Amino acid sequence: MAAILKLCGVFLKIGLVFFGGGYVLIPLLHRILVDQMHWFTLKEFLDGVALSQLTPGPLAMLATFAGYKAGGFLGALAATICIFLPCTLLMLLIASRYERFRRVDAVNHFLDGIIPAVVGLVFAAAVNLGVTSLTSVRDFVLLGAGFAVLQFTAIAPMAVILGAAVVGLLLHFS
Amino acid sequence: MEKEIKRVTLAEIAATFFMIGATGFGGGMAIVALIERRCVYEKKWLGHNEFMHGLAFSQILGPFSLNTSTFVGYYMRGVLGGVVASVSFIAPSFLLVCALSFLYFRFHQLPELKSALLGSNPVVIALILVAGLGMARKKAAGLESAGVAAIAFTASALFEVSALKILVIAGCWGLWKGWRTGRGR
Repeated sequence: MAAILKLCGVFLKIGLVFFGGGYVLIPLLHRILVDQMHWFTLKEFLDGVALSQLTPGPLAMLATFAGYKAGGFLGALAATICIFLPCTLLMLLIASRYERFRRVDAVNHFLDGIIPAVVGLVFAAAVNLGVTSLTSVRDFVLLGAGFAVLQFTAIAPMAVILGAAVVGLLLHFS
Repeated sequence: MEKEIKRVTLAEIAATFFMIGATGFGGGMAIVALIERRCVYEKKWLGHNEFMHGLAFSQILGPFSLNTSTFVGYYMRGVLGGVVASVSFIAPSFLLVCALSFLYFRFHQLPELKSALLGSNPVVIALILVAGLGMARKKAAGLESAGVAAIAFTASALFEVSALKILVIAGCWGLWKGWRTGRGR
């Protein structure tokens, strides 16, 4: 029970600072779950990102995966509710007064400042994750191929991740 | 602003968003487009303008696919409608992740699954890079923004400054910049 409460606290906090779209979660969650809490190894974190991409839901489904590891189904439920609670409440509040919020420029200015920072953080996360997890020529070949497919074709990320998994399976990666 | 708002049952909201949540592969913008098609064009629950306002606010905090669902639900049936829409939207993915997590934590020692996951890991990093590039092109073009992105990158990658601090500072910078241009007019 104490573990679940702690989980709720952590994910509420993440839910509160989850600005500017899903990908900011990668640096945030990586730092908190892997470096600070040691709930995940880096490998599990990457696997979790892959799994969350196999669903139609947002990347924040990573919270469900983290919760599941910490406390089974109940943990998954608690983590999911907590990470989405702040944004849902804010959205309900805004929706109820949106005629008035419409002209608040401050929101746009705040976001204009945050988005470039999110871009920098996302690249930093890719580098941090890459430095430790890309260990062989094979990994870099897959990275390059994946990058090319995702960047230059319209194939869905889910299909690309599954495709890479099949490659790993058929070539017996170990 | 007394506008005719269709009377929609909560069950219909739930069914609509559950279907969107179950079939909306492709993430983020693809889902928003799907919501727009179902709710604005097919069911005519709300107008295109209202939808666009909702979308603008959706980008503040959290995933905008979920927030857009909440907004549409609220627009139709108030707080209850908003909660029903967001829960229905998330439910399919939630169940799917639970099932996948169960399989993962039970079987990830299997050599076959290990191989498959090792194949997927570099692609996950590619995905993050592509996402970053896409955002950079759309939202961080221009010298000043690129500078902020570079500073955030350096602070996070080399000096391990926490992401939260970086975000708050960047947000304040945005506010200050907005305030300055506002005053200059």
